[in-house]
Amino acid sequence: MNRQLEGIAQFGGHLTDEVHLAADRRIWQQINDGLLAQAPNEACVFVLTRPSSGVIRTTAILGEVLWPEPGDVKSTPRRLEISADYISRVLDSATDAGPSVGICLVHTHPKSELGEGVAEFSPRDDWYERRLFPTLVVGRQNSIAASIVLGSSGDVNARVWWEGNGGVLTQDVHAVRIVGPELTIIETPSSCWTDHPDPLVMDRSTRLWGKEGRRRLQNLRAGIVGCGGTGSISIFALATMGIGKMLGWDKDIAAAQNRHRTAGITRDCVGKPKVIALKALAESVATAEPFEMKCWQDWGTTTEGLKRLKDCDIIFCCVDKFAPRVPLNDLAYAHLIPTLDMSSWIHFDGNKQVDALMTHAHVWSPGIPCAWCRETLSSRILIQEAQGNQRNIENRATYGMPMNETDGVEPSVLPLNMLGVSLALMQFMQVALKITDRTPRDLKFFLTNWELDESDRAIRPDCECISSIGAGDTLIIRPVTMD
Amino acid sequence: MEPSSDLKDAVRELSEQSGHLFSVSPRPVTGTSLFVVHTDDQPFRPEYTVPSGVFGFRVPFNFPDAGPEDSFFIRPVEIKLRSPDPVRGSIELHRAAKVDGFVAESALGNVPVLIFSWHLWNKTPWNRRKHKLLDHYTHCIRRFELPEHDS
Repeated sequence: MNRQLEGIAQFGGHLTDEVHLAADRRIWQQINDGLLAQAPNEACVFVLTRPSSGVIRTTAILGEVLWPEPGDVKSTPRRLEISADYISRVLDSATDAGPSVGICLVHTHPKSELGEGVAEFSPRDDWYERRLFPTLVVGRQNSIAASIVLGSSGDVNARVWWEGNGGVLTQDVHAVRIVGPELTIIETPSSCWTDHPDPLVMDRSTRLWGKEGRRRLQNLRAGIVGCGGTGSISIFALATMGIGKMLGWDKDIAAAQNRHRTAGITRDCVGKPKVIALKALAESVATAEPFEMKCWQDWGTTTEGLKRLKDCDIIFCCVDKFAPRVPLNDLAYAHLIPTLDMSSWIHFDGNKQVDALMTHAHVWSPGIPCAWCRETLSSRILIQEAQGNQRNIENRATYGMPMNETDGVEPSVLPLNMLGVSLALMQFMQVALKITDRTPRDLKFFLTNWELDESDRAIRPDCECISSIGAGDTLIIRPVTMD
Repeated sequence: MEPSSDLKDAVRELSEQSGHLFSVSPRPVTGTSLFVVHTDDQPFRPEYTVPSGVFGFRVPFNFPDAGPEDSFFIRPVEIKLRSPDPVRGSIELHRAAKVDGFVAESALGNVPVLIFSWHLWNKTPWNRRKHKLLDHYTHCIRRFELPEHDS
């Protein structure tokens, strides 16, 4: 849909292979409700954007909605006129918000006496935006601007604008991600999604989530951080379910001791990187077509890994430490990428007898309490982890007790890990396919009570999972490596 | 593992704001992911037999996402009270305990230190976006200045 026009702004630029827009569900709803209420007249609003820059994908994240004041916009069913005052006020807001903050113009093609409104940029839209966007982007090289047209039946078309070496350029947006407790992806006319060439192989699961669900799974890109006890089972399950694109990270070498609780580690894989074994496993069971899995023998929370994770639609957090959960939790809210955190834990009593087993699965996404709200993460927990074999040394010291060093190796068993992954996969179906009305908070299964518990912790009003939603690249996320 | 630029910057800022020259260990303490942050010239309370010495604390590698430990240490470990505290009648520092291996790999060498353990961050939890090492240092000093029989 690249149209080459000459003039102030050019159509046909190339920012990255994929371009997305993303919005917190509440913001998207607010924009839609506010604009479509003015039908049959067209309507418009400016929204601030923040960039989320991956390796192959750039996402412009919608933020503050700057509604027009009376007299700012004159509208009819066929056209809009925006006042210079409104544009000027919006520019001031973007400037005040920072150099990476861009501007998005959203307008509607509502249903009218002419019929349904179609989400297509009209020649008049092209003409107007070519003249408007240079004003909005020149001198703001770190920002990504955007324009969106909303049709009357939920269809969307969009494009991004930026200042490149060749002047002001634009590229069509491939999809819009609406992110709340669940993930909705609206394809634009430029979508590069494809259908499975032989849908019959998916028949039984398609009967649950429908053709749209099958198409979504076929085209989702899932990141799996950690390919051990829970990550390996997640990879096996996601590939089997028909996920079409997967990225995996793990720095470890497969050992013979991993085999009893890690999927895909055959005898031949011992001594080789775990990710190689898991890639082979995924390719052997994948039902999506085409299917692609890329993997890196590294921590997923390095600077490079965190950048690649911004290419993902959903992330599975399968790490076995608390520290890497910090950047992954931040990424989920700031970059609007729902993340499923899972882990298992086995506790010993004073006689070194197992007295409790637990596995949990927790969705990190706007509208659901984050790991800090849930207190999966706290400064105290991170300190304890960093204390390593000196854990609680300061407490023991004051009472004069001797230091007891631990070997630091925790038990891990396949059924417990598999149960945690299963909980996470149920949450995945909810987040990606909305199979019920409500996404649960943190789910924990406890032994010895044989009890499945949903956390009753609410979002803390002062938590960063509220203040950082949609902050994108403007939020500093620190990489974590466990070397 | 080396200290992060965030931690090194924070230690530099602490030196500027506290007026004491702090340094961070080049490597974490053996068996941990904690770096030692210390100064050699901390004035001690007049009740102590040593007027000044080493003062420090340990900071996780992922600072400021994780704050400093809820404790601090001093050296030399031979410090006593000039006169017995009125509650216990002893010149020992009952609030502190001598521990080996706490500062291994720091510029101090693998020497014993006296650890003071407190709930420094129990009332106001560490806020990774807000709190600085100076806040931790201020907490430590405030508790350090309390009477010896406080606990």
